[in-house]
Amino acid sequence: MRRFDIVTLESPNRAPLRIEGFIFGEENTKAPSVAIVGAMSGDHINQLYVASGLVEYLRIKEEEGKIVGKILVIPAVNAYALNMGEKNWPLDKTDINTMFPGYDQGETTQRIAGRLFETLKGYDYGIILEGRRDQGMCIPYVKLIQSGYEDIESVKDLGIGFVHYRAHEPVETVMLQYNWQLWETKAFSIVFGKNGSIDQGASDEVHMALVRFLSKRGMLDFSVFEGRMSNIIDPNRITILKASRAGIFISNVRCGAHVQKGEVIGKIIDALSGERREKLLSPCEGIVTCQYSHPLIFQNSIAFRIASVELNYVSKD
Amino acid sequence: MGLIEEVFTIELPVGENFRIQRCRYTSPNTEAKKRISIVSGIHGDELEGQYVCFLLGEWLRNNPDKIKGTIDIYPAINSLGIDSITRSIPFYDVDLNRTFPGSKNDFLPAQIADGVVDVMRGSDFAIDIHSSNVFLREIPQVRIAKAQEASLVPLANLLNIDFVWVHDAVTVLESTFAHAMNTIGTKTLVVEMGVGMRLGHAYGHQLLKGILNLMAHEGIIESKPLDVRFPIQSHVGEVAYLNASCPGLFVPAIEHCQMITKGSVVGHIVNALSGEVMDEVIAPIGGILFTLRAYPIVYEGSLLGRIFGESE
Ligand SMILES: [Zn+2]
Repeated sequence: MRRFDIVTLESPNRAPLRIEGFIFGEENTKAPSVAIVGAMSGDHINQLYVASGLVEYLRIKEEEGKIVGKILVIPAVNAYALNMGEKNWPLDKTDINTMFPGYDQGETTQRIAGRLFETLKGYDYGIILEGRRDQGMCIPYVKLIQSGYEDIESVKDLGIGFVHYRAHEPVETVMLQYNWQLWETKAFSIVFGKNGSIDQGASDEVHMALVRFLSKRGMLDFSVFEGRMSNIIDPNRITILKASRAGIFISNVRCGAHVQKGEVIGKIIDALSGERREKLLSPCEGIVTCQYSHPLIFQNSIAFRIASVELNYVSKD
Repeated sequence: MGLIEEVFTIELPVGENFRIQRCRYTSPNTEAKKRISIVSGIHGDELEGQYVCFLLGEWLRNNPDKIKGTIDIYPAINSLGIDSITRSIPFYDVDLNRTFPGSKNDFLPAQIADGVVDVMRGSDFAIDIHSSNVFLREIPQVRIAKAQEASLVPLANLLNIDFVWVHDAVTVLESTFAHAMNTIGTKTLVVEMGVGMRLGHAYGHQLLKGILNLMAHEGIIESKPLDVRFPIQSHVGEVAYLNASCPGLFVPAIEHCQMITKGSVVGHIVNALSGEVMDEVIAPIGGILFTLRAYPIVYEGSLLGRIFGESE
């Protein structure tokens, strides 16, 4: 293992920002190379936890002589934000993951993204451990956006049950996955957990998925158990259940639950009077892939997302 | 007197609604007439537009007989942000101006964006007033994406501003209010002026005159066109960016909005601990300093200023 600074940036008053990387194995013409990026935001604690856990795991495997390809792990990009409970870059509040491919003559976070991206270019595979952009929690899923350079076959080696495969939104053109793909790295994201906390079960699953991917792609010299079959999910297979009222949100199910049409899966309570304002009934049969995670819910917020096999369900809109 | 209406409302969890209000002034005359939306507070820490809204409302109250079209004033789009000194949408920490056109099937910021587009749909014009942010001070300017240059520059020239900046839009700007509104046929101008969290009297009056002039031209108010300044056009020169080469405390050496010559000193980056001057910031071109940093703490890359001047 080699631990090194990918980016250092002096601060007016704090210790310098350091983005540290951990390299395992060596460049090898037979085996591919992979780079894994952890927490880009200050609230992506699950992502930090999985990435640092992977560093420790790979350190042991390297001592055992089991690493064949070259593996780079970057547990934390925005350590400054992590250290102060902020989400974005603490001075100007910009999100580093909207600054790619970066610009070395630009503003601070563009420079950070640019220097980071220089290091990330040229890897065969790129894995981004992503947190959610909203107040939700979800079972681990792969986010693969369509840029024309995406590689759907390689993501199946993770053995993660759901692969959300969809067109990119405008804001995603400045995110790492899209730009990494344009530079011909087979990049994808694994989205999981709830921001600001650690979900042990989801973290274990993602850890195993990463190890499985490395093993199947010939970067680790041993075999692991098979994962799940990956279901490729386009947005039409996801039914959205919104809260028609605001209040205290109580969920009856856990992410990953199989629910039936008409099943009561949650409720909303008037935060002051305690009255039940809404009974949340599943509009279809399917798997709860994602649910609202804050106890206070806004009107029209998405309370649940349910993935179904059949396409003919209509959302409650 | 305008009609105050609540045009968008959404329940908050604990006994309150998020709301967007507007004040509508309209003429009793029923023949086809134009409609304009004056918008501010998409960013909760930018308040120059609130003053313009006040001044315009005051003028309209005093001149009801001159109103020939419909004038909608929306001073506070991100109302939660404005009342809590928060640039983004509180709770979500998301920049509303990166969530347009929005959706009813997404999180609160996207629902607000969707509601905003819905309520303003059908306006002929919109003027979205920003004040840069807390870091930068700007002279009154309109920023226009290259794709809209032909239709928007003539309109911007009526606004009594100092500078019209046509820039190459990056794709992320497709998620702004202005892009969403221009896409549905509302000619939307983005004004940047002043600095975050503050009010400038002079700029407010300057823009009021421009808005009245634009409305006079378009027949929304009955008035002769006003005598307004003609803005500098960005295609006649180039914009030079001054980014900090090192971290420290930025101490400007000159005032905002000055003509400067190539090679002159814009300011210094100093080290408060050691007492050293770390860097001297030099103007790479001559011209007008139309942006100047207001918040002094800088990192490498922090924007210190922008100069519009002659192409090299
Ligand atoms: Zn703004």
